[in-house]
Amino acid sequence: MAVAPQERVLQAFGEAVGTLIDDFDLIDALHRLCARGVELLDVTAVGIMLAGPRGDLQVLAASDERTGLLELFGLQSEEGPCAESYRTGEALVNAGLAAPDAIAHYPVFAERARQAGYATAHALPLRLRQRSIGAIGMLHAGPHTLDSSGVQLGRTLADVATIAVLQQHTIEQGNVERAQVQAALVSRTVIEQAKGVLAERWATGVDEAFDALRGYARRHGERLADVARGIIDGTLDTEALR
Amino acid sequence: MAAVLRTLHPVRSGQGLIGSDPGNCARVLGVDGVALSLLAGERATELVWASEGDSRRLEDLQFTLGEGPGVDAVVRGSLVIEPDLSRLPAGRWPLLLPELTALGTGAVFCFPLLVGRVCLGVLTLQRRASGPLTDAGMDDALILTGALTAVLLDGGAASDALMAVERPSDLYRAAVHQATGMISVQAGIPLSQALLRLRAYAYRHGRPILEVAEDVVARRLDFRNDGPEPDPSGRKRR
Repeated sequence: MAVAPQERVLQAFGEAVGTLIDDFDLIDALHRLCARGVELLDVTAVGIMLAGPRGDLQVLAASDERTGLLELFGLQSEEGPCAESYRTGEALVNAGLAAPDAIAHYPVFAERARQAGYATAHALPLRLRQRSIGAIGMLHAGPHTLDSSGVQLGRTLADVATIAVLQQHTIEQGNVERAQVQAALVSRTVIEQAKGVLAERWATGVDEAFDALRGYARRHGERLADVARGIIDGTLDTEALR
Repeated sequence: MAAVLRTLHPVRSGQGLIGSDPGNCARVLGVDGVALSLLAGERATELVWASEGDSRRLEDLQFTLGEGPGVDAVVRGSLVIEPDLSRLPAGRWPLLLPELTALGTGAVFCFPLLVGRVCLGVLTLQRRASGPLTDAGMDDALILTGALTAVLLDGGAASDALMAVERPSDLYRAAVHQATGMISVQAGIPLSQALLRLRAYAYRHGRPILEVAEDVVARRLDFRNDGPEPDPSGRKRR
């Protein structure tokens, strides 16, 4: 199984991130994601920020682009829940914008957000493996609590945004084609085929064939899929399994 | 939709690759069924998540015939939106369209799971009634496609779920792969040709490929005779 294809994706991503901002389709997709996020999470506003080449956050899209919302999210390139969440890679939820903590950590953003009528902020990092590439932020006009299932939903929306961003890249076939899931599926297929081959050769059932396959793999400390491949390409003498 | 997205990641082992209930997902999207097929190797796909009934049949037909909206979506890496199958030229999918007409499918919508240019699989929505998706349904389908892609890219969790080999196998097309292995020994042909023989047999006899494969595994049918298709006498009941 190839190691960490996402790492290479990430590399490609890092190189191309500067050009993303001009891409209309991506913006449109993210804008609609934000708009839907407002309904799904039951908040007043949602915005998505992406880290530029120098690690500074830029606003990509917000649920309502006609108001000062873009501007408000834009403030967070310096300070704010999104900036913190991006930096730490952790979720920052249920932050009261009038709370001493908020005023201490991001005074400018907290004040401007309160002036715009918001009382609560949440932010979740956009993550690719261990690295954060941006953040999704939510603002609510009143007190608002994201419970654990709300956070889970927020994370899923963050994942969707991450995928949408990645989708814009010309990632060459070789970089992701050995994605683990795909490799696992191929392995599963090969194991089933090997069961069939053994069952036919030995005139037994597929379950007995599988027991023999698994027994051999365990005795020899090999992976099931590798044994199965050996059976199929003829490099493993099937008599050795009996 | 929120509930569907929240439960995508399987929380229990044995829950399969995707945690959400596909039937519920279809209702939310305003269609009759959903199916997620992943690419395994060059062109072969494996069904990993689907609502009961027509969606499975649609995936099986495409697997058997090697053509259809899901195949196109994967090959082109683009959406395939067909809100009215009755208006399509017969040549679009010459083998599949008559089958879909018989099945009563009116509309199909395919969303490839893309990461850059790389396609991991395809999400297919189908409905008996023709007509487009609503705007909200379209947005939700796109969001779901991204969320599914994220689940699949989520490190080892997804592949661990797949590799947990159960007995009997929980792989949807396990019998097809087993039968492929058996046929390759019976007819002395490579696995790829064995699978073609199986698919051709299912198509010629108008039978679901899983059912034919199960007959092979249960030894009610064999491909020992070296003809274009097995001798009918090869189909023996135990």
